[in-house]
Amino acid sequence: MNGVLEHLSQGFGVAFTPLNLLVAAIGSFFGTIVGVLPGLGPINGVAMLIPVAFAMNLPPETALILLAAVYVGAEYGGRITSILINVPGEAASVMTTLDGYPLARQGLGSVALSLSAWASFFGSLVAFFGIVIFAPLLARWALAFGPAEYFVLMVFAFCCLTGLLGSEPVKGVLAAMIGLAISTVGVDANSGVYRFAFDSPNLSDGIDFVVVVIALFAISEMLQMLEHVVGGLSVKVPKSGRKLFNFAEFRFTLPSVVRSSLTGFGLGVLPGAGASVASAIAYANEKRITEQRDPDAKFGRGDMRGLTAPESANNASATGSFIPMLTLGVPGSGTTAVMMGALTLYNITPGPVLFDAQPQLVWGLIASLLVANVMLLIMNVPMVRVFASILSVPPWLLVPGIVCVSIIGVYSINATRFDLLLVAGIGLVGYFLRKAHMPMAPLILGVVLGNLMEQNLRRALAISDGDVVILFSSAVSVAFWVLSLGVILLPPLYRRWKKRSLLPEIAE
Amino acid sequence: MNNRILGIAALALAAMMIWQGHDLQAPFSYEPLGPRAFPLLIAAVMALCGLRLAIRGGGQAPANPPGANTRIAAMFGVIVGYALVFQWAGFIIATALMTLLVGRLFGGGWVGPAIGGVAGSVLLFVLFDRVLDVVLPVGLLGAWL
Repeated sequence: MNGVLEHLSQGFGVAFTPLNLLVAAIGSFFGTIVGVLPGLGPINGVAMLIPVAFAMNLPPETALILLAAVYVGAEYGGRITSILINVPGEAASVMTTLDGYPLARQGLGSVALSLSAWASFFGSLVAFFGIVIFAPLLARWALAFGPAEYFVLMVFAFCCLTGLLGSEPVKGVLAAMIGLAISTVGVDANSGVYRFAFDSPNLSDGIDFVVVVIALFAISEMLQMLEHVVGGLSVKVPKSGRKLFNFAEFRFTLPSVVRSSLTGFGLGVLPGAGASVASAIAYANEKRITEQRDPDAKFGRGDMRGLTAPESANNASATGSFIPMLTLGVPGSGTTAVMMGALTLYNITPGPVLFDAQPQLVWGLIASLLVANVMLLIMNVPMVRVFASILSVPPWLLVPGIVCVSIIGVYSINATRFDLLLVAGIGLVGYFLRKAHMPMAPLILGVVLGNLMEQNLRRALAISDGDVVILFSSAVSVAFWVLSLGVILLPPLYRRWKKRSLLPEIAE
Repeated sequence: MNNRILGIAALALAAMMIWQGHDLQAPFSYEPLGPRAFPLLIAAVMALCGLRLAIRGGGQAPANPPGANTRIAAMFGVIVGYALVFQWAGFIIATALMTLLVGRLFGGGWVGPAIGGVAGSVLLFVLFDRVLDVVLPVGLLGAWL
């Protein structure tokens, strides 16, 4: 316990330096804007800022604080658009539209905004304490992992990310393979052999992670936006009416906030289940529990509990998803995968060793998560009008801006024309992959984890002199294999079972 | 776009990886698994996924609304052009032109994107190159900057 307090005070020491406070505030503000804009989510915001942060020579902990603030900021921003115009600002706030927009129609828009800001904050707070308690324990446990355990753990992470994709896990597997294939381009670190470089000097160092991220999450996104050109949206934030929720509403929603925060945190820690899954499950859960007890529940027609449940869950999940990345070095969501890629730019490999080797980085980041959330809570109540006005910026100004910042970011890494052309090319491929409903998160996870996965596999087989049995020899790796199989097999079995149990009812 | 095309593309990519990767050999090897195994493993799994998608088919994506494909092709062309002239013309000129063209694609007319392009590119140049120390190409305007 003393250790925790010591680490936390070290972390807050890092978080409270003027530069890091400034960066957290800028990140929170920018993240909220990214969240407010429909079509742009945390992953796009983080992707655009990584090269910029790197090019500015920010120290690694400061860069990570910036990216983390953008991530949590986007989770706050998404709800504003959901409540005011019934369009989710980002994927995780789809559920927020269900009860948030009806509340706004009833003239309670400002109350809904402040109440959901509080719910978001509470979710993050729960997840913050979760990180402080569980992350060091998990890191200590993972220290004993050998290369074989690591390899199987990464297999498990891929299974989680693709097994939860519903009806088409095969596309998730394919996406992961494409990502892994991209990671093998360039010189092989162990043998010095060039792989898939096609004698091009530009490819001999491999395809930069930043190029792939910007291409998939900025360029292809912009191409897709052209399918339906829409004008700027004008949004009115209600001027009249009270701004803050009252004590009765606070007490009324508190149980749902607490329950959903815990649900969201648990799902966030699991690799693969991101914030959008968490908010959907929390909403469904809350609806079921509440409608059993309370006949007056009006979920879908403006129930405040239906507003607070997804909001606390998605923030708790976003904050909780830092745990697998920091402690195991295996990101739990697309956005944390992108962040882990950012760390590899600094030659830092996240994992259990990080807690001992770079405590200022880990605990500075954890403390900054709390700092950013406090800033966001403070920003989000009085400044809602400012954020909502972002929606009226026309796309003909916004899109070129995004393209320009993205290209600046890519150019700043190697300053070559080749990289800029590569971004355009991969962006076009990414657009076609999106059209084919390929999930992007496993792909980016493949790019980020590819080298680590291959190195650990080769190291494990070097230890056993080529005997594959080593991958199944320890209790930990067997457990991860079993879990991987479970994640892949259970969802389709469950769907089949559910279908079968429904069939007799339909037949009658 | 449908699953069959996706599957065939995946098969082609896997075939390319196997063709390019089957003779990867380390001159000196200290480990049982050389540089070849991992890419070939990936290619094999990719081929299996591609085969399944190509055989089962389905997943036809709805066609784009009329005119969308032209706009998307034009946007891709503008980004490629932007990449090509970025260094030669310099950040400010390239960005102003890109903003004008992309802005038109997104329904901005002539005047708005033109003003936005010139003002935005100068603003971003000052912000990144001068304030944030991210070096950008000066290109044709090199004598004045």
